[in-house]
Amino acid sequence: MTTSTSAPVTAPSKTAVAARTKGLRKEYGSTVAVDRVDLELPEGAVLGMLGPNGSGKTTTIRMLLGLVRPTQGEIELLGRPLPEGAEQALPHVGALVEGPGFHPFLSGRENLVRCAAFEPLLPRKEIKQAVEDAIERVGLAQAAHRRYRGYSLGMKQRLGLAAALLVPRKLVVLDEPTNGLDPAGTREIRKIIGDLHAAGSTVLVSSHLLSEVEATCTHVAVLHRGTVVAQGELTELLQAGGSALQVITPDVETALSALRQAKISARPLGDGLRVELAGTSAPQVIETLVQGGARVFEATRWKTGLEELFARLTEAEEAERGMSAVDTLDGGRR
Amino acid sequence: MITRQFGSEVRWMLRRPRTLIGLFGLVLVPIIISFGIWTASDEGEGGGGPPGLGAILQGNGMVVPIFTLFLSLNLLLPLVASIWAADGLAGEAQHGTLRGLLVAPVSRVRLLFVKLFGLTAMSLFAVTLMAVVGIISGTAFLGNDGMMTLSGTTLSTAEGLVRIGLFILLVTFQMVAIGAVALAVSSATEHPLVVQAATMTTIIVFQVLGQFTSLDWLHPFLITTGFPGLIDVMRDPIPWEQIGDSTLLAGCYLLIGTGLAAIRLVTKDS
Amino acid sequence: MNKRKVTLAAAAAGVITGVAGLSLAAMPAGAGQPPSLPDVSAESLVQQVLTSKPGAFGGTVEVDNKLGLPSLAEIPQLADGKHSARIWTDGNGKFRAALPNGQSEQTIVNDGKTTWSWNSADNEVTKAEHKADQPKPDEQKAQSVDPAAAAKQVVGLTKEFSDITVDGTARVANRAAYELVLTPKASEKTLIREVRIAVDAELKMPLRVAVLTNGASEPAGTVGFKEINVGAQDPKLFEFTPPAQAKVTTPEAKEEKGRDRRPELGVEQALQGKDPQIFGTGWDTVVGARIPAEAMTQVPAEAQGLVDKFTKKVSGNWGSGQVFTTKVATILIADDGRVVAGAVPEQVLFDTIGQVK
Repeated sequence: MTTSTSAPVTAPSKTAVAARTKGLRKEYGSTVAVDRVDLELPEGAVLGMLGPNGSGKTTTIRMLLGLVRPTQGEIELLGRPLPEGAEQALPHVGALVEGPGFHPFLSGRENLVRCAAFEPLLPRKEIKQAVEDAIERVGLAQAAHRRYRGYSLGMKQRLGLAAALLVPRKLVVLDEPTNGLDPAGTREIRKIIGDLHAAGSTVLVSSHLLSEVEATCTHVAVLHRGTVVAQGELTELLQAGGSALQVITPDVETALSALRQAKISARPLGDGLRVELAGTSAPQVIETLVQGGARVFEATRWKTGLEELFARLTEAEEAERGMSAVDTLDGGRR
Repeated sequence: MITRQFGSEVRWMLRRPRTLIGLFGLVLVPIIISFGIWTASDEGEGGGGPPGLGAILQGNGMVVPIFTLFLSLNLLLPLVASIWAADGLAGEAQHGTLRGLLVAPVSRVRLLFVKLFGLTAMSLFAVTLMAVVGIISGTAFLGNDGMMTLSGTTLSTAEGLVRIGLFILLVTFQMVAIGAVALAVSSATEHPLVVQAATMTTIIVFQVLGQFTSLDWLHPFLITTGFPGLIDVMRDPIPWEQIGDSTLLAGCYLLIGTGLAAIRLVTKDS
Repeated sequence: MNKRKVTLAAAAAGVITGVAGLSLAAMPAGAGQPPSLPDVSAESLVQQVLTSKPGAFGGTVEVDNKLGLPSLAEIPQLADGKHSARIWTDGNGKFRAALPNGQSEQTIVNDGKTTWSWNSADNEVTKAEHKADQPKPDEQKAQSVDPAAAAKQVVGLTKEFSDITVDGTARVANRAAYELVLTPKASEKTLIREVRIAVDAELKMPLRVAVLTNGASEPAGTVGFKEINVGAQDPKLFEFTPPAQAKVTTPEAKEEKGRDRRPELGVEQALQGKDPQIFGTGWDTVVGARIPAEAMTQVPAEAQGLVDKFTKKVSGNWGSGQVFTTKVATILIADDGRVVAGAVPEQVLFDTIGQVK
């Protein structure tokens, strides 16, 4: 087990925050959905909220939007405490929560008009234009006149996004925005998130798709079993996640014993080894290998992917809980 | 802002297919009644019309709207009110649109008032529509020589219209009171059918309880007890006491329903 | 206090108000504080009641009836329970009464020349033009719910046989009134314990009559104004034009038809038609009559069933028959057609029936 993942990685930010939670806890009856969530969403960031299903992502988002009252803890949204300040803060927040919700008997456009009627920041005269702009932005122009009932999953998702973007927002919260979208649709969502980021909006994206987060986010928060196990800037997290060296060698056994003697963690992988660089460096590893009599064909620096980081973070939790399966998996590294 | 939300709510309700079907059904009632009384008159003496107000319908087209609303108040209008209340909160929750409104944001108390307004506006519209169709079909089938009252006096058409207008308001108020209680149920569930079933069951059970004289201590608490008294609009001069009592009774239900719905909405997790 | 708490408190207050409103509506209206009025002697009050000239008034009368009478389709107001009626009078003989019955209504109007009786249930008007000394049955019916007329009758008939006192004051239909109490003298063999009459302090008009019987704390019957407005009434109220669609008949025609339709009316008519024989005086006056034998045999089976349902078979040295008992009156019908009735226990009737001719 690596030291870097045993404690949540927190990067305390000195810049202004768009949203912040402290000691958030929510109980539904006797089940605890979310506990001790301290989340910080820096202004202008694109925060990817990662976590398997049931990890508390949606509950946290609903509390951030004032939909759910926390059992314990504090929430600050755009500088206002929630839920008291919801009426001041929420007009500046666009949200797509728990899938798009619209009336099946209305067309996409009519649905947006109804949403727009309840937007405090949208003057009556601008409703029409705002609706058309939003439709255009999510690429629904062709289907806007059709009933929502007949929409595909992807179209529904786009309409939800359009509703969140009816007004220029300081913060946009997207819960699983690419659900049901084809690759082209996913790319468009990424582009929209990129545009929002470029325009200075803060974005909170929750997803269980790691590649999506990696591709679009500046910051990451990982939730697992109702609590934040890691958060911070994506690049920092990946670095702290530790790096490794991929070594191609035919003499795997020799190499492993040599490394073990030097107290360097390694495990067999593919045509060679994977060597952890924690507490050591690449030249030292290669030196140890060569001296130990292993032939090194190739050595490449292994960059930790988000997927691996995520797996490790969540596995670490499992390990702490004494799950034997994880122990055997990790056994090779010891 | 609130007028825009009110407008949006009413437009939304009017766009629902089931609202339109419901209104169409309601409009049929006065037509069927007029037609029924008209055919009964061809069968000569007595006519065999319904008892009570029905006995003076013959040749008295202006009474059709009152008779229609009076009959519908027992079942049909509560049903319609419960459907609107059910769609208002439970239906929105079911479609996930309630969340959208709350993060817009619309404060929960305001949301309740928007829903209550929609309910009131639509109830008034439906009741008025029924009355207007009633006047037209009543006049067409049964003729119109002014309005004959239960007291045997004949009012001029203008006076009759005033009575009909009054009755429209009274019936609408009863409907809104029932709808407010249905809204309270609606705020506590995501299933519109539960709301309709609960409301209609209550109305029917109340009417059954009202039949038992041994339970007369209970009767003053039942909103349905107030329904028959509204017929006093058709007496001349109007005795106001029962009308006042019925309206107060409905007012109590309105307060209770709105209060409970507000409590539930404010404390609810969405 | 934050906004959420304020909202919750307001909503809870709304619910509580609503529930309280319901409970208040369900509770019978309290009598309120009795007004304080200058003392008046019982005798002078009785005199004033008897000599008071009825003025013009309009009002709502509530009849609360626990007499134990079977409900009669003819006069629903006399069946057990609470009923209300509205009456208007101009003080000069013209009057209007509206007797609601469920969703229909009977209206009786005396316009000075004609008594109109309208029943919305059958869309029918009975028109009785006034002739000299003709009894006007519908008018009597209408007057039976007028507390003022009823009370005057009681006072006039029984004052000699009663102890009369003034027992405090009361507020009736929002008017101050004296409570005049007539208690039958000890020698009177009657079912009635006392009759309380609330007399308007200003107009000396009876506003409420309550009859209390022996052994009951609640009145067996109360007729009183719930609402009254004294003064000239809209003259239009005392006019009646039969509605265009209504059938108009005369009482004679109706009686003809009625006789065919309702044989039990024969008994009623026999009682009314023959000069009744009066036995005794005061509270224990007994009225007697003999129903013609043919009328007795004419009673059809279903009417007989009705009679049996409400009566008890009795017999004695006077013969045998059936006795019908309410809280305030007893009726004895002998099998041979003799009938006696009075506000007396049945024993008094058994003792009296032998005198019926």
